[in-house]
Amino acid sequence: MRVKRFLRSLDYTLLAVAALIIVYGLIAISSATHVTNPTGEDPYSFMKKQIVWAALGFAVVLFFMGWRYEELPRYTTALYIINLALLTAVLFIGHTALGAQRWIKLGPFLLQPSEFAKFIIILALANFLTRREGKLDRLRDLVPVFLYTGLPLLLILQQPDLGTSLVFVAIMFGMLYMAGARPALLLTLAFSGLVSVCGWIWAHLNYGVWIPLKEYQLARLTIFLNPWQDWQGAGYHMIQSQIALGSGGLLGRGLYCGTQNQLNFLPEQHTDFIFSVVGEELGFIGAGTLLILYFLLLYRGVKIATAAKDSFGRLAATGIVTMLVFHILVNIGMNIGIMPVTGIPLPLFSYGGSAMLTNLAAIGLLENIYARRQKILF
Amino acid sequence: MTNIVMRKRLTLLLFLAVILFVTLIGRLAWLQLVRGGELEQGALENRVREIVVEARRGDICDRNGKVLVTSVSADSVAVIPAQVEGPREAAAKLAKALAMDEEKVFKRITKREAFVWVKRKIDFATARRVRNLKLSGVELIEESRRQYNRGSLAAHVLGIVGVDNQGLGGIELAYDRDLVGKPGKMVVEQDATGREIPAALHRLHKPVPGNNLFLTIDETIQYFVERELDKIVDTHHPASAVIIVMDPKTGEILALGNRPTFAPGKWRETPQAVWDRNPAIWRLYEPGSTFKIVTAAAALAEGVVDEGSRFYCPGFIKVADRRIRCWKAGGHGSQSFEEVVQHSCNPGFIQAGLDLGRERFYKYVKAFGFGQRTGINLPGEAKGILIPEEKATSLNIATMAIGQSIAVTPIQLITAAAAVANEGELIKPRLVQAVQSPEGRVLRTFKAERVRRVLPEEAARELKRLLEKVVLKGTGVNAYLEGYRTAGKTGTAQVVGPAGGYVPGKYVSSFVGFAPVDDPRLVTLVVVWEPKGGIYFGSQVAAPVFKAVMEDALRYLGVPQQAGREKPEKPWYMIEEEPKSVTVPELVNLPLDEAVRSLKAAGLRFTLRGDGEVVRAQVPQGGAAVLAGTKVVLELKTLRGNGTEVTVPDVTGLTIKEAAALLEKVGLTLVPSGSGVARVQQPAAGTKVRRGQTIKVEFASPERLEDSEPAVLHP
Repeated sequence: MRVKRFLRSLDYTLLAVAALIIVYGLIAISSATHVTNPTGEDPYSFMKKQIVWAALGFAVVLFFMGWRYEELPRYTTALYIINLALLTAVLFIGHTALGAQRWIKLGPFLLQPSEFAKFIIILALANFLTRREGKLDRLRDLVPVFLYTGLPLLLILQQPDLGTSLVFVAIMFGMLYMAGARPALLLTLAFSGLVSVCGWIWAHLNYGVWIPLKEYQLARLTIFLNPWQDWQGAGYHMIQSQIALGSGGLLGRGLYCGTQNQLNFLPEQHTDFIFSVVGEELGFIGAGTLLILYFLLLYRGVKIATAAKDSFGRLAATGIVTMLVFHILVNIGMNIGIMPVTGIPLPLFSYGGSAMLTNLAAIGLLENIYARRQKILF
Repeated sequence: MTNIVMRKRLTLLLFLAVILFVTLIGRLAWLQLVRGGELEQGALENRVREIVVEARRGDICDRNGKVLVTSVSADSVAVIPAQVEGPREAAAKLAKALAMDEEKVFKRITKREAFVWVKRKIDFATARRVRNLKLSGVELIEESRRQYNRGSLAAHVLGIVGVDNQGLGGIELAYDRDLVGKPGKMVVEQDATGREIPAALHRLHKPVPGNNLFLTIDETIQYFVERELDKIVDTHHPASAVIIVMDPKTGEILALGNRPTFAPGKWRETPQAVWDRNPAIWRLYEPGSTFKIVTAAAALAEGVVDEGSRFYCPGFIKVADRRIRCWKAGGHGSQSFEEVVQHSCNPGFIQAGLDLGRERFYKYVKAFGFGQRTGINLPGEAKGILIPEEKATSLNIATMAIGQSIAVTPIQLITAAAAVANEGELIKPRLVQAVQSPEGRVLRTFKAERVRRVLPEEAARELKRLLEKVVLKGTGVNAYLEGYRTAGKTGTAQVVGPAGGYVPGKYVSSFVGFAPVDDPRLVTLVVVWEPKGGIYFGSQVAAPVFKAVMEDALRYLGVPQQAGREKPEKPWYMIEEEPKSVTVPELVNLPLDEAVRSLKAAGLRFTLRGDGEVVRAQVPQGGAAVLAGTKVVLELKTLRGNGTEVTVPDVTGLTIKEAAALLEKVGLTLVPSGSGVARVQQPAAGTKVRRGQTIKVEFASPERLEDSEPAVLHP
């Protein structure tokens, strides 16, 4: 009887939209990895692995729905510490690829603790902020929050993984806002942060001031302003993805028929630039459909945050929505050339197991919060 | 936080998300829908590489289909830099195989380009070496190289091509569009790393081979011409020489040769001045007496002269206060027009020219095509220089009547002479007979192109009769052809210097004529610029060449010989030439046939003593002044290994460059002093020295001749 009632109270729109995005993603991955390996390997190996991840993810959804989320705060400190340990471990025993040490090898799979870290920081911050709600009006009230978030952030920046670090910043600001911090203060902080970062980069470029970034990271950050100035180097990704999107037109070149994708002109086409694959092969219609699905996802997320019965639920939902928004904005933004290239995947869509598990855990938590929502009877 | 504030904040968050999504969709639409086409082009450029495949350039054949120029395949080395493994090592190997600089090769094969040429059109052995290296990313692409089957035969007619087989001169340029064909292209699709995609597009748009050309040139006659030109060079060491053979009825050029010449396949090894211009259609000269044909034609056609006309030549004629002398001291006395033509009498022709008057004279000069291009289908034809009619004074008319104060090209002169041979019809000269498709289908043929009637038939016939007399009795006896009625005219003009005025000691000797007179088959023009060695008269330098070419060519063409014909009574130079003193040429160490040639050219006879093919000694010695017709005794020897001894040639009058070239030819080294033209040399010409010895030559600036008085010249 309880189960029945629970099942009735789920947000099926959210579930359906998430499922659709995952299936859509599987199709896109199968195309993106179609001829990547002309070596005779199974061309569908990436898709199959992703299916395994999605299946695992379904279990995670069930897991995060089954709990009473109200009990989660009890474990957040432990999770926070485990998270720090994992991130530290990565720095020492991590698997290196693409110039960064982000992965821990687990059998045939590579786990990316920084992905889980996003989810964990949402839970930890939700708990941390619930206890400080209404006491976040002054700058010094915010300092502990900064420290709390900053610790794992710095570890991730060490990998280096600038994109994920920025996700942390976004999540923190989103949750602070929902936790009642003064918008003016947050805006001032965000704005001055942005200005000082830009100023720092500018100073670095012009006067060689030290900056905690590798040259390639810096180049990727600034190149989107004019990708043609180094079209074979830092600007290559941006140009190729825009060419892919442009040649897709309204209806696309057909699945498996995008030359930019199939001939490997698109870099990282099954992860960071998968949106361009969709745009090239399925056109504006296909890419637009994906955007609409994401909008529905976020819309449901906001609704769930609104419906949450307590602060922890509301803050966690907000953190999740912020995380998703930031991912979508930055990933699609870099695909369409309005954001710098940072290695941020498209949620539920890009190939990658850790991200899939993380995002599905987040969906599961959203469902959990929704199922146990306030029953307001007007 | 109150519920209201919370809801407000969440709504704001949602609102921000909406704005965000609208931005994303907007940008997406801009990229995909507005800039789509432009970006799609980028995608195409990304993956498609076009490699141009040269079409096979068409053959050039002579009139009988003998292939003079063809295309043979030659491999070119290209590199796809993206596919090169270990560029350092590859560059080293490649450089060695191609005999190129390693650094240069390295730079080329590491260019950030899809496709780079390393070396074009290498020979077979080199190609095999490169193939054996089996380097990845290095490809041999079959291209074609122009092959000139007959060396430098008809070099200026055939012309040259550049490294991309594009026509740069001669027929190669004039008919480039026919020869070149349509280049094909290989469209290769490749992926981001430059690998060809096996399954992808790999289209070959086949090139369309170029058409073949059939020239009007007859290879055999061209050979005769080249042979004679070589002899002229050996005998007279001229600055340049031209021989043109033409069919007067059709305007077809059967042979056209120039000296100096070059090998079209290796034109880069020759100075530009040699391959750049075709003297036969470009070089201007004063035609001298050969131009009197035009004067005579005009006078006959206009009825200014007839059989009864008498001319008196006192040895000069006064025109506008100027005395123009006849070449014959004391003059020819009273003569008929026939005799005027025979004797090439200057006052007689000047009188005829003045009687015609400016208007009528110019009418014929222009009708014969002077001052205009003939329109022969070769690039770089000159127009000649004709004093504008309205500015011509009677002194101009007088000098033009004897072929001075006018500059013509050889092709203009032979075309004019051909019009006389062709009973007064001027035909456009041409070089191409037909264009044929690669499969052998005739695409276009060219027919005789009649330009205009220049002379009435009777006048032309009368002129032909007079010109035949020139060969039988007059200045042209050395051109007399065994077995054919021959008509022609000699010419000797002085060379006009850059400062105006005539350069002393420099002449242009020419002869133009045709045969058989009653049904002319061939017209031939011989022009020799600045012959050296003291013989320079057209009658002595050019007429014998005309004879040699015409006799061989007419026999080759199977033109029936005419029996029982009038023959010249005596060699002209014996009767007409005042007891002329000639210089015995230096013959020691010369091959016999050349010695005989130069003796003949000098107007000397000879007897032989001993056996052999080289002259060992001669009596009288070279340099001695004797009367024309004197016998020179030549003692012969067989050629054995003593080729180390050479005879010092005469370099006086030559520039430093010319002298150096001449001395180098015989294996001597020039040590010059001063500048200008050679004055004194040490050892003297004729001295026998060992090969390799140095010859000191003093150069001094040539005197400028102030005298612009029209030279008085022998015809």
